[in-house]
Amino acid sequence: MNEIITVKDVSLIYHSKKFETLALKDISFKIEEGDFVALVGPSGCGKTTILSLISGLLTCSSGEILVNGLKPDKKSKVCGYMFQKDNLLPWRTVEKNLYVGLEIQHTNTKEKKDYALSLLKKYGLENFKTKRPDELSGGMRQRVSLIRTLALNPKILLLDEPFSALDFQTRLKVCDDVLKILKDEKKTALLVTHDIYEAVSMADKIIVLSARPATIKNIHTLTFGRDKTPFVRRDMKEATDLFQKIWSEIQDEK
Amino acid sequence: MKNDIKNNTGKKNKLIDNKEEKNKQTLNSEIDNKTEKKSNKKNKPKYSLEHKKFLNKIRLKTFFVIFIQITILIAFFGLWEILVNNGVLDGFIYSSPSRMINTLAELSRSGELLTHSLITLKETLLAFVIATGIGFLVAVLLWSNNTIKRILEPYIVVLNSLPKIALGPIIIIWFGAGTKAIVVMGILIVIIVTIINILNAFLNTDKNTILALESMGANKAQIFFKVVLPSSFPDIISTLKINVGLSWIGAIMGEYLVSKAGLGYLLVYGGLVFDLDLIMTVTIVLCFLASLMYFLIALLEKIVKARH
Ligand SMILES: Nc1ncnc2c1ncn2[C@@H]1O[C@H](COP(=O)(O)OP(=O)(O)OP(=O)(O)O)[C@@H](O)[C@H]1O
Ligand SMILES: [Mg+2]
Repeated sequence: MNEIITVKDVSLIYHSKKFETLALKDISFKIEEGDFVALVGPSGCGKTTILSLISGLLTCSSGEILVNGLKPDKKSKVCGYMFQKDNLLPWRTVEKNLYVGLEIQHTNTKEKKDYALSLLKKYGLENFKTKRPDELSGGMRQRVSLIRTLALNPKILLLDEPFSALDFQTRLKVCDDVLKILKDEKKTALLVTHDIYEAVSMADKIIVLSARPATIKNIHTLTFGRDKTPFVRRDMKEATDLFQKIWSEIQDEK
Repeated sequence: MKNDIKNNTGKKNKLIDNKEEKNKQTLNSEIDNKTEKKSNKKNKPKYSLEHKKFLNKIRLKTFFVIFIQITILIAFFGLWEILVNNGVLDGFIYSSPSRMINTLAELSRSGELLTHSLITLKETLLAFVIATGIGFLVAVLLWSNNTIKRILEPYIVVLNSLPKIALGPIIIIWFGAGTKAIVVMGILIVIIVTIINILNAFLNTDKNTILALESMGANKAQIFFKVVLPSSFPDIISTLKINVGLSWIGAIMGEYLVSKAGLGYLLVYGGLVFDLDLIMTVTIVLCFLASLMYFLIALLEKIVKARH
């Protein structure tokens, strides 16, 4: 398989008038096409920053990033970025919110819209199509935001804690679903999560970051239960062992 | 016989009453049917008893508020009239509602009311439209280019704090003592506030939402039309409402200076000849016209909101 994301010796400094913040320091990793990679680390270490760099919203201070063989560019439409905050447009209905990305990319064909609607149905939000975002619960809004990202059918998905506002039950279900969609459609995904169990049950690879300035603490490649659903995989012995390991790795940083 | 007649009429009345009641009932049921059909179309569920109670409560409250508002208005003018009539207030200095009505009738008979109102209205509308339009465009320009914004910021601040009336003599010398000068005065008063308010609204757009759209590949124009403009909509409407008031100020102030025609001119004239009836009447007319324009803006707001 070929590498779709290459991050090499990347550092990033946030500049403001009063001070500078070194957020990332010499980060290097590779992601192969079709991989599902989880990014875990203590809060505020720079996970969102990494996603922003890959999506092209930020440019790295030093080092090099290649996405699909090219420098990251937000106009390239390769990446679909789901933000930590849902960022739905409050004046649009749920349905119209789903079409925002399609409108921007001038691909709002009937086919794509239908696909978005089918996802809406799948996630049990069909009846809320004509509602405004502030009439939905936090978990529902997050699902809409996820569907909005999926509707664009990007090659790479950057997911920033996509399931954090979901209740436990829905969360497990949505995890299964999302992973299935991603695997069926051979998508590459980079998932930021603070839930180590989520990482362990879904990922092919887990990147553990240190506290800020983030450096790579460890990269785990998961070989067990790759044909199983996250729900099943979560309870495998290897999973619990790995959980313990990553837990202590992050704990060291705090 | 008499009794008979009485009885008959009584019966007739009752009959009529019954008929009317029946009519009312059928009307009500028709209305009910209609609303039901409508709600069926929209697939709205029937309201529960609690919700109906809730709606009734709101309606009652609205009714109460409007009732009090009208009462205050009537009481105010009524008291005014009574005080002047009883000699507590001097009608020559305070005028009175009845004297104002007479003046109003006179002014409209002679056609003066219409001509002067139209002149002022024209000046106000011109100032309003031009200043709001240009102000909006400038705000867009400043939003889209941070460097231009930073360069122009101090000038805008200074112009904002300058009392525009101070520019009166200059404006009259440059634009002549006529409509042009008045409109320019109005524009100067309205435009700076428009720029500042609308630009602020643009700049207050949620940064994260903009980033989210950028990550989908949105260009500046798309970000403007899909996020910035709709999220600034409430602020833009309130700016328009403020501008209504300001452009009236501009027009009246301009007319004070130029003093040739318009409601402002009538006010100055009324002051010179000590005609309080004229002054009060024109003030009321001004109130009426200004609130009419305000309500038009409110209507525009409703229409735009309903569309989106
Ligand atoms: N725009 C910014 N300007 C300055 N500093 C920033 C900015 N954004 C983030 N930072 C800093 O960079 C560091 C990393 O931020 P980042 O948002 O990437 O963390 P994170 O790992 O996503 O945290 P969390 O798990 O809480 O979401 C933080 O310490 C933060 O203070
Ligand atoms: Mg984050």
